[in-house]
Amino acid sequence: MPAHTNSNARYLNTTEVDSALVRLAGAYPQLSRLVALPEPSVEGVTCHALEIGSTPDGGKDCVVLTGGVHAREWGSCEVLVLLAADLLEAYRRGTGLAYGGTRFDAAQVRALLDGLSVVVFPLVNPDGRHYSQTADPMWRKNRNRAHASGGPACVGVDINRNFDFLFDFTTAFAPNAGPRVSDDPCDYQTYQGPHPFSEPETRNVRWLLDTYAGTRWFVDVHSYSEDMLYIWGDDENQSADPDQNFRNPHYDGKRGLPHDTAYAEYIPESDADTALELAQEFCAGLHGVRGGTYTPMSGFHLYPTCGTSDDYAYSRHIVDGSKSKVLAFTIEWGKEDPNSDAASFHPPWAEMQRIVKDVDAGLVRFCLAALKT
Amino acid sequence: MPPDNSHDDKILRVRVTAKDADTLRALLRDERPDVGGRPRTHADGSVGIDAYVPARKAEALEQPGVTVKVVGDATATGKARQTEVGEGDRFADPSAVPRGLGDKVEE
Ligand SMILES: [Zn+2]
Repeated sequence: MPAHTNSNARYLNTTEVDSALVRLAGAYPQLSRLVALPEPSVEGVTCHALEIGSTPDGGKDCVVLTGGVHAREWGSCEVLVLLAADLLEAYRRGTGLAYGGTRFDAAQVRALLDGLSVVVFPLVNPDGRHYSQTADPMWRKNRNRAHASGGPACVGVDINRNFDFLFDFTTAFAPNAGPRVSDDPCDYQTYQGPHPFSEPETRNVRWLLDTYAGTRWFVDVHSYSEDMLYIWGDDENQSADPDQNFRNPHYDGKRGLPHDTAYAEYIPESDADTALELAQEFCAGLHGVRGGTYTPMSGFHLYPTCGTSDDYAYSRHIVDGSKSKVLAFTIEWGKEDPNSDAASFHPPWAEMQRIVKDVDAGLVRFCLAALKT
Repeated sequence: MPPDNSHDDKILRVRVTAKDADTLRALLRDERPDVGGRPRTHADGSVGIDAYVPARKAEALEQPGVTVKVVGDATATGKARQTEVGEGDRFADPSAVPRGLGDKVEE
């Protein structure tokens, strides 16, 4: 049995997120493989992912789960580290897995790790997390100082605006769409960087998608609003007109407005249906734990986003037909409650532990449902 | 475009409620506050969202058709949470292996 029963007494610091993966890989050599990401962070931290599954990835379907992209959304790392720990322990001991009222039997745990490669990359942005946990708790970006010479706010790039999807937002969107992104290096939260994939942290995520070519699902864990979002985030979805798509310059300057007829982003109906179904499965698994209600919906609401991980992941097979189709999701865990300061990017750890159980139950159910699609 | 939040200031968490979606959309576009969560539409058509802004910026968000209610001091809350972060490395001992929060149920 593991030595430390109180190892979940606090949030993990940056060192501990990584050492947790190293220890899991060491404890479960038959079931997991430690993956060193090719690029260190801006401040030189080597990052790891953990691939879990009863046999090494050999053309098996793969789900890639990422967290810690936004520095201040601390609990995303714990969601993924502790999910990996649960699956590995339950598989090896031949047990089922229960999160409150959501239960999975041993056969389901076995089916999940026999049928899938699960790649967890819990801390994409280690420098940002360290800064948020030790200095400015509201910090969101990475800690790159290369793009500006101004004050302290002029540090860092928002990794979830640095992917290659409608990066040239002034061209792509309607003038009054107000996308939540900035090309100003001194924007405190949403500076997109000088070009797509300018940041090593972003390139590491791309590398995982390139390397695990069997990836069919991608989930990026964020906070907050109690939603399970699926593509797209640049506009509302539609399945009637394939010409209305992010690659078509005819629609430049028209994207990003709600409830209009000028533009909506095309998604084939079958993909829209599957994405919704998987998002609903996540929400059902989560609901069973203690009655929480997350909303399954597409990512656009009121204003557009661009350069995000989920839209990029799904767009890859459209831009390059040799790449596999990846249905992509963003979890936004955590309550929105104006009357409680427990509702925030970093809830008290006691509350965060309850949220981890919620989200992990949702993710197990998501993976089991994905296996059947 | 107005200057964005400087991280030197204390950041307040405020609840911004606009009389309708278009008003909130214009406010977010023009003032560019840092936000959390997503816009929520209420039964009367008003729409609210959490924003994280320095005190002087909170006042600037107060416009016709928009109310701003201070929920708390996000910087102070965050600083308090920083005391709930591990120190050192709880997994330094090679025998220390993470365990998840799910119950492993024997069948
Ligand atoms: Zn986020």
